Amino acid sequence: MQEEKKKNKKKSYIAKASTAENSSRSVSALQAFFVHLICGLGLAIALWVAHNFYAINLVSDPSRTLRLIWIVQSPIVTLLYSWFRLDPERCSYLKAVGRGMLALPAGALVNALGAIVLGAPVGIEYLPKTINWSVLMSLCTFVPAASVFGSSWSHWQRMFAHTKPNEPLEYMICIPAHGAVIGAWLGAWPMPLDWERPWQEWPVCVTYGAMTGYLVAMVVSLGFVVVHGRRQNLKRD
Amino acid sequence: MTTSTCPKFTIFTVAALIFQIIGLSLFVFGFFPVKPALSGVSGRESFFAPGCNSVENRTQTEMGLSPNELKSLYQDLSGIPPLFDRLILMVIDGLPAEFVLGKDGQPPRKDLMDAMPYTQSLLSSGMAIGYHAKAAPPTVTMPRLKAMVSGAIGGFLDVAFNFNTQALLDDNLLGQFLRIGWKMVMLGDETWLKLFPGLFVRHDGVSSFFVKDTVQVDQNVTRHLGNELSRDDWNLLVLHYLGLDHVGHIGGRSSSLMGPKLLEMDEVVKMIHLSTIQAHDHDQGRTLLVVVSDHGMTESGNHGGSSYEETDSLALFIGLKNQVSHYLSPTHNSVLQVDIAPTLALLYGVPIPKNNVGVVISGTFDSSTDDQQLRALELNSWQLYRLVEAQLSGLSCGDFACRGFFGDLASGSGECSGSIEETLCCLFMNAANLHNSWKYKKEKGSESRDDYRSTIAAYHEFLKTASEWLSRRVTDKPVSLHASGVVAMAVSCLIFLGLITCISREVYTGEKQHLSNSSNSKMTWCLEEGFILGVVLILVMSMGSSSMIEEEQYIWNFVICTLYLLLLRKAVQSPSGRSGSALLLKAQNRRSDVQVCAILLLLISARILRGWHQGGVNWTHLPDISKWLEQGGSNTIRLVQLTSGLLMMSLGLFALFLFVSKTKLVQVVGFFFLISGFLVLWHIMEYQDNALVSSNYRATLLAQIIYATLGIGTVGTVIALPWLMPIQISSACSKHKTNSSTSVSFDIQYKFPLVELRDSSYLIGLVYMLCWCLLQLLLQQPINSMPIFLLLMQILTNMLYCSYNRPQNKEWLEVALLYYMGMAGHFALGNSNTLATIDVAGAFIGLSSHSTLLSGILMFIITYASPMLVLLSMVMYISVKDTSYLATSQNVDLGHFMKMMLAFPCLVPLGLNSILLTAYTIVLLLMRNHLFVWSVFSPKYLYVCATTVCIYIGVFVVAATEIYTYMVLAFRRKLQVSIGNGVL
Repeated sequence: MQEEKKKNKKKSYIAKASTAENSSRSVSALQAFFVHLICGLGLAIALWVAHNFYAINLVSDPSRTLRLIWIVQSPIVTLLYSWFRLDPERCSYLKAVGRGMLALPAGALVNALGAIVLGAPVGIEYLPKTINWSVLMSLCTFVPAASVFGSSWSHWQRMFAHTKPNEPLEYMICIPAHGAVIGAWLGAWPMPLDWERPWQEWPVCVTYGAMTGYLVAMVVSLGFVVVHGRRQNLKRD
Repeated sequence: MTTSTCPKFTIFTVAALIFQIIGLSLFVFGFFPVKPALSGVSGRESFFAPGCNSVENRTQTEMGLSPNELKSLYQDLSGIPPLFDRLILMVIDGLPAEFVLGKDGQPPRKDLMDAMPYTQSLLSSGMAIGYHAKAAPPTVTMPRLKAMVSGAIGGFLDVAFNFNTQALLDDNLLGQFLRIGWKMVMLGDETWLKLFPGLFVRHDGVSSFFVKDTVQVDQNVTRHLGNELSRDDWNLLVLHYLGLDHVGHIGGRSSSLMGPKLLEMDEVVKMIHLSTIQAHDHDQGRTLLVVVSDHGMTESGNHGGSSYEETDSLALFIGLKNQVSHYLSPTHNSVLQVDIAPTLALLYGVPIPKNNVGVVISGTFDSSTDDQQLRALELNSWQLYRLVEAQLSGLSCGDFACRGFFGDLASGSGECSGSIEETLCCLFMNAANLHNSWKYKKEKGSESRDDYRSTIAAYHEFLKTASEWLSRRVTDKPVSLHASGVVAMAVSCLIFLGLITCISREVYTGEKQHLSNSSNSKMTWCLEEGFILGVVLILVMSMGSSSMIEEEQYIWNFVICTLYLLLLRKAVQSPSGRSGSALLLKAQNRRSDVQVCAILLLLISARILRGWHQGGVNWTHLPDISKWLEQGGSNTIRLVQLTSGLLMMSLGLFALFLFVSKTKLVQVVGFFFLISGFLVLWHIMEYQDNALVSSNYRATLLAQIIYATLGIGTVGTVIALPWLMPIQISSACSKHKTNSSTSVSFDIQYKFPLVELRDSSYLIGLVYMLCWCLLQLLLQQPINSMPIFLLLMQILTNMLYCSYNRPQNKEWLEVALLYYMGMAGHFALGNSNTLATIDVAGAFIGLSSHSTLLSGILMFIITYASPMLVLLSMVMYISVKDTSYLATSQNVDLGHFMKMMLAFPCLVPLGLNSILLTAYTIVLLLMRNHLFVWSVFSPKYLYVCATTVCIYIGVFVVAATEIYTYMVLAFRRKLQVSIGNGVL
């Protein structure tokens, strides 16, 4: 009885999704793989540049390193995800990029507030760290969604309040975003311990956690996309 | 067990409670043995055999004796002329005896031998006697020093109960020396100064805080040494070298610094020994040098536990004549650390400290006459006999000693068996008889070597048995007691959890019946519920780590804020908008808006609360709001206090007049609240600005008036309110605004006083909370007034949130949320898991005379302000929840109704607490040999126990209030209905 209900619900979602699919570009597994690969490479390149050209890393100079990462990562993410915008006929590429850019500070504000509420230190000396960290988090969470969905409340609600993605593009947005947040949450656990390690400082281990979570979630999302594609093929057959 | 009746339910709950109490007390008494210490100090009665009343009376006279007279009196009585005049006690922190004496009859390693050439030469030439002195756990400096000077092994609770003073108040060697007029000097670890404040005529304490420093700590001691050795105005010189322990902590036993450090210690020994010989030649008196270590160290240099490496400490007597060679078999030269106390006492002719469990080290008396050796054993036996007598009330061997000496030789050689009383008594009598007959024979000149040996052996047997028995009483952890305690607690925990699942299933089925038409209810696990359970798991796991226990406030804060964020996510989910009319949708939207606002308010206030006190142990130096305000001076703080008082009062009045039926009753309650609020504010204005005035008579009187007002007001409201609450019958009901009264049949409205119960619960709950907050405003530190207001606001906001929740929302989730909020608030008020943060100053407000009980109660009220506030708010919570649908099922009766109403608010706190209590008990048992068991784990356990007590009290208050209110209302309704019927 209950299962049937669930199925019904799912069907309705799928029906809804198929209408949405018509208006957006469909994403193949290969495309998804490249998007994730480029995002991941962006992170890696930023860290490599920071290490080799500026001789800094997250522990020695978290603020500058984070800034470098988000400066490298933001064009990559915005340009990539804007390509997959909803309703490409009515919404131009540039508009999608623009709303992604607008979402960057807005998402940063939400992330910063979330971090402060959860206990991030407040103070002038922590301000640059918090800002740079939250811009990076915004890139992982809000910017892709804003580029793709714009201001469609029902999509945002389904992504972030219900966590019910049901097509490849939504997997690609929803799962890495949740991965980054959960990773950051887990990364905060060692902070109060008295190990006296420099990486226990805010926001070093939180950033490590977020990046790890983001990378892991990208692999998971790729898996979902592949499985979803197979199932679609089976259905078509 | 799908449906259980109310009596059955209550019986189960009470049974679980009783199980828990029994288990807890079994465990506590097993784990923290209360040492039955004798009070007072040993006087001259210790030179007389126990049991003779005539001697005890004479002790009064020694009060008037001067130290010198007392000294000569002791010398006359003891019969052992002191061999030495002065004592140098050199404590080398953390030196394992193995380094000096070797192990298992083997000499120490070559490099260690070379590191201490002078000491080794003293040992091999017989100028010194060394012993492995086994230390009792915890192998940490302060308890070990106490054991060395008092001969007693302390329990944990006497540390905990003396948290305001670290001074050693029990009878001890240094106290005895002071009584005979000794002058004492201390150089080294300042622990000695904490233990014996004001005792030393000169001292230079060094702190063991900077563990990285291995050089300076010891130089600070040695630099005074030359000067002190040349003076003759002291009798006891205590040297405490910390460097070796620090070397161990840095690099372990085989650190490269160890050799030079040992050499340095050897130099010190050489310097002292040479100077004592010189002093002897110059007739400055004979000096005994005793080199001891307080504990050993593990291979990696740590200590605290009970392994051989840690307990193997040294006792080296330099200056005593010794005939035996020094690398003896382990059985021969291993003693206990507590044996040092009676040995030194007897060597210097002072009474053995009263609670000593040690046995005199016989090798130290080798150079004395037979007579004196037996006398030393006899004195030690008398002292131990007295201690045993105090602990075993059944022990009475008769007043044998008063009968004078005539040996019943026949009984002197019997085998001793039977109960412990009989055995000890028999051994003691054996030894005493043999000694008496030996003396008798000696007078006649017919004593034999065999008699002497058998007497010695008999004494040793008694001493060994008694000492073992006594120390086992203190250190022995009775496994069966622990196991049964843990099992009882686990059983009660399982019962609680079973009851909770049982009742939630019942509620669920009831709900399904009720909501069957709307067909929208299904039993799914939402994220929040999973998280609530996850929190329990996180807490249980974090208990295993000492630094997580120290920083527990971060966990609670992190967890509670995450929970709020999850709820925020849920609130945003809500307008599903697929079914229902536009009106319903609008109502839903409004509901989610209110919920979002409530949660945002909760989040902001939680963040402020977290920032108020830095808390914990390791990060207390970081800036926080309270430090920032305190910099502003007392005026700023008073302003904050007044502001929060006024805010609290306006919030309270607002909540009061939010109350739907505006009757005179509400006005009366509001008036009472205003009066007591202004009294508290007056007290703050007048007296809070400096602590000195708080002992002032008028301040005390005002505080007492406030106590009385709050107490009478609360109790009066609770008792009178159900009687005065207007009762609406029939038609009035439908007018009243209840959420889903349409579905409640008229019959049930008629039968149960639902609306009245809700109204009176709301009022009573509010009165409870407001009075509690006003009381806290008076008692807490001034800086804590704002957090109290924020907590009140959080709870009221939470009530708002809950009242807008859908009725099928899981009730246990909301109660658990409240419970967690209370624990987070507990830490936000500046509490931590160390005993140091207990606010002792507030515990004397309004007390005109010192009373341990009353100030203890006040201390409890201050410490558990937040959890108690949350528990009291449960009364209001019951009124906020819409329980009307519960009454629709068929088997409606009074019991069922009470069960549905009270089960969650009472069972969930009890259940959560029982999980934490049981888990922490097991953790403590596993950690009993951990280095921090006494400094971190045990204080935390005391807090856990106190939280349990707090929950018992809170739950009892909630249940009693609700049951009383319900009974009165039901009675009145019945009465009214019958009158109404009569009239009709």
